[in-house]
Amino acid sequence: MQPHPASYRDTSGFIFKQDGLVYRYVHPAYEMHYAKLMDSGLYDELVKKGKLIAHSEIAGLTTFGFTEGKVLLPEQLPFISYPYEWSFDMWKDAALLTLQVASASLKKDMILKDATPFNIQFYKGKPVFIDTLSFENYEAGKPWIAYRQFCECFLGPLLLMHYCHPDTNKLFTVYPNGIPMEVLVSLLPKRSKWNMNTFLHIHLQAKFSGAKKQKPGTENNFSKQKLELLLKGLDNFVQKLSLKRVKTTWDNYYTDTILGDDYLAAKTALVKSFISQADFENVIDLGANDGHFSRLFDEGKTVIATDADHNCINELYLNIKKEGRSNILPLVYNLTTPSPAIGWANTERESISTRLKADLVMALALVHHLAIANNVPLVLIADWLQPMGDWLVIEFVPKSDEKVKLLLQNRKDIFDDYTLENFREVFGKKYQLIKEEKVGNTNRVLFLMKRN
Amino acid sequence: MHFYFLYIDPGSGSYILQMIIAAVLGVSFFFKNFWLSIKAFFTGKKVKKEDEKDSVE
Repeated sequence: MQPHPASYRDTSGFIFKQDGLVYRYVHPAYEMHYAKLMDSGLYDELVKKGKLIAHSEIAGLTTFGFTEGKVLLPEQLPFISYPYEWSFDMWKDAALLTLQVASASLKKDMILKDATPFNIQFYKGKPVFIDTLSFENYEAGKPWIAYRQFCECFLGPLLLMHYCHPDTNKLFTVYPNGIPMEVLVSLLPKRSKWNMNTFLHIHLQAKFSGAKKQKPGTENNFSKQKLELLLKGLDNFVQKLSLKRVKTTWDNYYTDTILGDDYLAAKTALVKSFISQADFENVIDLGANDGHFSRLFDEGKTVIATDADHNCINELYLNIKKEGRSNILPLVYNLTTPSPAIGWANTERESISTRLKADLVMALALVHHLAIANNVPLVLIADWLQPMGDWLVIEFVPKSDEKVKLLLQNRKDIFDDYTLENFREVFGKKYQLIKEEKVGNTNRVLFLMKRN
Repeated sequence: MHFYFLYIDPGSGSYILQMIIAAVLGVSFFFKNFWLSIKAFFTGKKVKKEDEKDSVE
């Protein structure tokens, strides 16, 4: 049985794939902790509240090649997203969930032995804790083993997004095991020291990082009450954090721009009519902005709504959370610098291009940004889109368009191939062009295509 | 035996740091609750104290 490449750290067990399903193996030495999770009522409580992924125990160890231990079949997740693709409030909710799970565990005399955002996935509109083997018996007198990890993995990125810039979440691609304390203090502004919590959890901790190792066995006087206080304090602190406001081009894109209501209404009607002719269960909306078009799909279809703009994705997340929509997963995805394959031997976390697949792909008002603003030839755009999904709804924005003129304002037009005719020809080699229509009274053209 | 699963490094000084933080937070929650009870006395409203809130709603 081959463990998943990301499942090597914790010796309590590992996840593996078989026949398209993801299973979790529980090592016999961990079974007493697992038994407590199940018998104490903690599992039931957390699963009932949607905070922990549900699983069932699978009989027949030998069919998997095991002689001892346990095999669990967790509820299967359709898509795995990584923290560096989340927006600020997704991080915040993931951090709060971790603290909530930790304090619920403490009430049942258990504790979380790790605190990394990779233990969390967004499923049906909400964060859910997916690592069933993170729970361990609480030993009286011990401090929280995962405290520093929580600070480096959650507080660090949150504080950088709070004090510096929303896009600092990308730093987690470079430091997926947590942003080191010394890096954090060198990036955070000096004034952050005046916040009591930032001072205690980050600045003071950075000072302690260089301290001498303690003698083992001296840590036995940290009462449970103190631990509860620590968790509560972290929870209060995280709740108060907010995203730094940065004005971007894409704020109020639809309300402020010359494109206005008529264009949006015409395009909405067209997209609706096009998608009614396609056969699909799940959707990728590339360049989703405020999610206007992602919302056209009813709850039965799952939509991954991506945009390079952190603010847009964060607003979308907050809105769907407020509305209680469960079928849209918003993700920060910059098409020109996609999340790479990272971790040990580049196999731990897959690249976003490997993970992102759907039946229907939407690329509305996007191609000109790739072709003109980023010099990507049309043929490469078609090559990249084709493996992503069977159906494609794509909008071509010609050079005569105001928005494209704006892109070409300060640069030489080196894009002789960027014409509607060439677009048709290039995409016609990869796709069957099913529908083609002008959007309202603009020169933009919407296509419905099916992969060859 | 319990060290077996402690697969992450808690970091040096983490224990002392957590002691300090718990002490600081203890004092800060004490004053917060004290203030809340004064407010509750004058407004007549019962205010949920910091340590009574349930974080898993």
